[in-house]
Amino acid sequence: MEPLSDRELDELLTRWKAPAAPEALQKRVRQEQRGSWWKWLLTGSIRVPVPLTLAIAALLIGLFVMVTERGPRGHVHVRPETTTAGFQPVKRLEPRIIRSSYEGNY
Amino acid sequence: MKPMTDDEFGALFEQHKNAVYQFAWRMTNSPAVAEDIAQDTFLTLWRGEAEWDRSRGSVRALLLGIARHLAWKRWRRDQRWSSLDDETFVATYLSGEFCGAEEAVSKAIAALPPLQREALILATYEGLSLQETADALAVEVGTVKARLHRGRENLKRMLAPYKPGHVRSAKEYGTAK
Repeated sequence: MEPLSDRELDELLTRWKAPAAPEALQKRVRQEQRGSWWKWLLTGSIRVPVPLTLAIAALLIGLFVMVTERGPRGHVHVRPETTTAGFQPVKRLEPRIIRSSYEGNY
Repeated sequence: MKPMTDDEFGALFEQHKNAVYQFAWRMTNSPAVAEDIAQDTFLTLWRGEAEWDRSRGSVRALLLGIARHLAWKRWRRDQRWSSLDDETFVATYLSGEFCGAEEAVSKAIAALPPLQREALILATYEGLSLQETADALAVEVGTVKARLHRGRENLKRMLAPYKPGHVRSAKEYGTAK
């Protein structure tokens, strides 16, 4: 069987008509478009440059250290120091027995 | 890249919705799948997931390129790799019941290997230039020309029973081939 010529093929190809986009398509796209922000909040991701990430991490660590070293009201809590400076041993030990009045009755 | 406004997106959707949907419909032969692909194509554009340089290439070629990519993803998912080879495929004329010209063209194009089919649909039905077709398919213009040539040659053979003057004999034939 003899194949079609270019002109005959072009004429035949025009016979195949595609339907227009359905109305529902616009509705679907609009719904997804509006819903995409809250979906993004749940599943989305952002790209952050490494230097910025490191700077933020360093800042957060610094803030954490500062906050944990301070007291609950923001005042610096200073513990009283106990030292052995000036400590002297007892020179003369004088033990004294103290009896109770109950024991004196015997 | 400057983000797209809602109005800009709405205008692009109105302008290109039919082209995108019809391309997907012709590629898949399924209204439901075509609708899914068209929806995902426009949302890809809206979310800025596709690089669009306004100074280079048409937005139509970009959208059709996205739609084509989504159609391929579906093929890969369905593991339809067997019919990819577009160089070795040589068609004979359509087999089966003799049908109307529109159905015959639909069947013949569906029978083409996907690489020939997408080039033919973009250039013939979506009216893209060779350069725009090449942009949408991410190939060289020469590759588009070769695929179009092979696709058209295959279609000429497949649709031979529909040659003017041969129609009667094809009807008498009952089943082509």
